[in-house]
Amino acid sequence: MDVAARGLGKATSRSGERALGVAALVAIVVSATLSLVVAPPDAAQGEVQRLMYVHVPAAWLAYLSFFVVFVSSVAYLKTRRIRWDRIAAASAEIGVLFTALAIVLGALWGKPIWGTWWTWDPRLTTTAMLLLIYLAYLAVRRVVDNPSRRARWAAVIGIVGFVDVPIVHLSVVWWRSLHQQATLLRVGGPEIHGSMLAALLVGVAAFTVVYAYLMTLRLRVGRLEERAVREALSPQVGELEEADA
Amino acid sequence: MEENVGYVVAGYAITAVALGGYVLRLFVRAREARRRAEAVAARRGR
Repeated sequence: MDVAARGLGKATSRSGERALGVAALVAIVVSATLSLVVAPPDAAQGEVQRLMYVHVPAAWLAYLSFFVVFVSSVAYLKTRRIRWDRIAAASAEIGVLFTALAIVLGALWGKPIWGTWWTWDPRLTTTAMLLLIYLAYLAVRRVVDNPSRRARWAAVIGIVGFVDVPIVHLSVVWWRSLHQQATLLRVGGPEIHGSMLAALLVGVAAFTVVYAYLMTLRLRVGRLEERAVREALSPQVGELEEADA
Repeated sequence: MEENVGYVVAGYAITAVALGGYVLRLFVRAREARRRAEAVAARRGR
């Protein structure tokens, strides 16, 4: 029982998690203040341009999350260590959240500027495909019971699916697009006003801290859920259940 | 006030609800998983 208790304690350890949670909260408050109060409204778009300070960081987090899935998937296939699969699963879930958020925020920005919530523009279409690819990734994780087969299949999707990330980013360069060019990651550097750039960079940093916090929290949940399944499938428990019957 | 401010308010509100809701959901999942594991461990200790 001591070993079980120690294991459970380790699985639910909160070291660093709370500190990251506080840091994420502070970063979000600072970012919101800079975005909504300090940064000036855009000369052409007015107040609605302030959506950029959440839309761009959300899109950046989607890229980062799926990059982590890609790296972890490669590492899993190379080492077969389940730890890499856990990291990939956690990052994919968070990536799906941020991709969906980027799409919704883009729609809110698009309506007053483009006059439509959605259009089959290359950037929007490839982003929708990105969301579908990683929803499929999460679906595969749910339907495959065997842990090693699940990890292997998921890793393959995590690697192949990442191909869409550079396509999303470069879609505005490769094809004629209604969507504006990249704001930060562009040849020649960003071209927006200094105070807007500062607010945007702080937003990106704040969302990155939020990602780190969500990852620690999601990894803890993953460990706990795996432990609950392991405990439930233990032969000793099976024997107890038979005895009870 | 500019009429497009509503889109900004909606965007920031949706962001807050999505992130807050996900954090809350993770806490609930952690609590449920911990309870399941503890319940099985307790049965084993009987």
